[in-house]
Amino acid sequence: MQTLSMIWAAAASAVPVAYPADTWDQMYDIWILLAVVIYLIVAIPMLYFLFRYRYKEGVNEVGADEHGSMGIEILWTVIPLIIVIYLAVQGAAFYHKQRTPPPDAMVVKTEASMWAWQFTYDTGKSTYTELTVPVGKPVKLEMTSKDVIHAFHIPAAKTMEDAVPGRVTHLWFQFNETGEFPAFCREYCGTAHAYMRATIKVVSQDEFDQWVGNR
Amino acid sequence: MQVAAANAWYRASFKEWILTTDHKKIAILYGLTSLLFFTVAGLMGLVIRLELSAPGVQYLNPDQYNYLLTGHGAVMLLWWAIAFWGAFSNFLIPLMIGAKDVAFPRLNQLSYWFFFSASVMVLITLIPSQNIKMMWTGYPPFSLHDNAGPTALYVLIIILIAGSTLGTGVNFITTVLRMRAKGITFGNMNLVTHGLISSIVVQLVGVPAFVGAVIMLFLDKYIGTGFFSATTGGDPVMYQHLFWFYSHPAVYVMILPAFGVFSEVLSTMSQKPIFGRVSMIWAIWAIALLGFMVWAHHMFTSGMPDWLRIFMSFTTVLIGVPTGIKIFNWMGTLHKGAIKLNTAMLFTLGGIFMFLIGGLTGIPLALPAFDINVHDSAFVVGHFHYVLGMAMTLGAFSGVYYWYPKITGHMYSEFWGKLSFWLMLIGSNLLYFAMMMVGIDGLPRRYVDYPAIENWVSLNEAATYGAFILAAGVLCTFISWIRGFNGPLAGPNPWHSPSLEWTMQSPPPPHNFDHFPVEVADDWTPYRYK
Repeated sequence: MQTLSMIWAAAASAVPVAYPADTWDQMYDIWILLAVVIYLIVAIPMLYFLFRYRYKEGVNEVGADEHGSMGIEILWTVIPLIIVIYLAVQGAAFYHKQRTPPPDAMVVKTEASMWAWQFTYDTGKSTYTELTVPVGKPVKLEMTSKDVIHAFHIPAAKTMEDAVPGRVTHLWFQFNETGEFPAFCREYCGTAHAYMRATIKVVSQDEFDQWVGNR
Repeated sequence: MQVAAANAWYRASFKEWILTTDHKKIAILYGLTSLLFFTVAGLMGLVIRLELSAPGVQYLNPDQYNYLLTGHGAVMLLWWAIAFWGAFSNFLIPLMIGAKDVAFPRLNQLSYWFFFSASVMVLITLIPSQNIKMMWTGYPPFSLHDNAGPTALYVLIIILIAGSTLGTGVNFITTVLRMRAKGITFGNMNLVTHGLISSIVVQLVGVPAFVGAVIMLFLDKYIGTGFFSATTGGDPVMYQHLFWFYSHPAVYVMILPAFGVFSEVLSTMSQKPIFGRVSMIWAIWAIALLGFMVWAHHMFTSGMPDWLRIFMSFTTVLIGVPTGIKIFNWMGTLHKGAIKLNTAMLFTLGGIFMFLIGGLTGIPLALPAFDINVHDSAFVVGHFHYVLGMAMTLGAFSGVYYWYPKITGHMYSEFWGKLSFWLMLIGSNLLYFAMMMVGIDGLPRRYVDYPAIENWVSLNEAATYGAFILAAGVLCTFISWIRGFNGPLAGPNPWHSPSLEWTMQSPPPPHNFDHFPVEVADDWTPYRYK
């Protein structure tokens, strides 16, 4: 348990390119550690048994008359149960962070269509395929779709959500560096699905204010 | 032996094959149809891998690619991962419970020919103007759009398949409930029978939801109703709920029979009773039941309420417990065994290892906090190919190798079988591990083209090499089976198993057992070796 909290602390202290990527990284670290340990717990004894208990004519022709063991079966029911419930609880806590935008988040209305993204700011400014955002400022996308279902995935922020006709869905992120970052459509939407990409242009707050035409 | 060979199932006229109601012949019809479509869908997969081996659009235009993805997915799932178990149910269940045939042989015949009609419909989609491009999931509103291809054909195929499934469902459930030999109970029945019958129960309960969903899709597209169209007051997400209510449990339809095969083969090839046999039975049925309570984990980014995502996350991780029990019990079965590493056993061990990796990579997908970054990425594709692709296929191949002497009366070729195993194991791990890694790195699924990011290019290239090694492995298995027809005679019970199907001649005579009613001793189990 101490190792786990050390991993979290290390992951949490580093500032990621974009939030909430750090939360996903923590979830990943916990999972990969558990997965490797469980893999070894199963694989090593199994390979050992395969090596150790081979059929030998006249020596080992029939296996032991062993039918099970109540104690060990309870053990390998209860321990996995505890592990998966811990993962689900921990995951739910992380998920709350990933889904809840900070109160000062800037809202950008996002409309998907076959096959482009349209972004509309509260100044009325509107662009296609290029999403310009200020650095260090949380952004909340309020998404919908004009035609079929699409999904907006930002690899740098490690977050995504579908854009569904007739619904308004949301996701949030905050870039901590300036630059240009890609975003991809992640829900199959036809011929040009693979080309339905967007560029997130992260600029300084001043540059952004000038661009968007802020008061 | 001579007499048995004269009455063997394969010595029958063409007319007899068409009109047969014999469960063994129907099993062979299912098996051959299924293998044919497995080959077609596998070749589709190879073309997809070739296209993805480098960024850019090389061999296909996007619409052809989208058709191949749809075809590969739908055919592999419906014609291979589900239908091939139809061959197992047909051949094995009556033999294992000591019955002469299934409860309703004519219904069984009808079920196969429904399946055959659906197969013909699938071949029609190969005509370019009839290419379905809506993915096997068929999500509206896309499937209502002209870009998706002929939705009506998709709906018709699903309805025909469902007719076959429901017929098989009532038939085999009745057979297992009513026709077991004296002394065979749910407590001492073969684990593969439990695996097959639990998957049949899941189909019977789940398929109607799926059929309902596609019929509404049909009405929306051609009659102008508004079930799933937001512009007319419908909700596209409702389709996803109906679709996954069956199509998630469907993954257990594909894998529970493989679990059964793993248990049979491990026990026989170790000459040792199944470790924790009773908990193995409970685990199968727990998975079948829990499978119906987790469907929305396919929809963690679909826009449904967050509380529902968390709820489904909790129910989903619980499935890890009974599947864990199964893996640990298989491990226990090997303990102090007398293990023979022949081809059937290698395929079972490989299947368990692939399932272990598939299971461990499935746990994070049950957590919305992890899924939020890998949903609809190549990671998901890699994960489900470990489980449904490889654990299921290695299980099915293991089953064919294991029962090959019973089905044909001859031994398969061990050399080609073992070669096939190692090629398939190496090829599939290269293919699907690379796929999972590139998915973690962000590559979306269902992309015909991707940006030339260095890591993405090299991993995709590696995956394509893996795919061809895997295909070579599958080819070796076909060679092993074909060579087996001229292989040495197997005799009734080459593996020394106490299970009922090994008590008769190989191949089984038309009437299965010489004496009816079949009866077993009070303390009989199919896994008693001492």
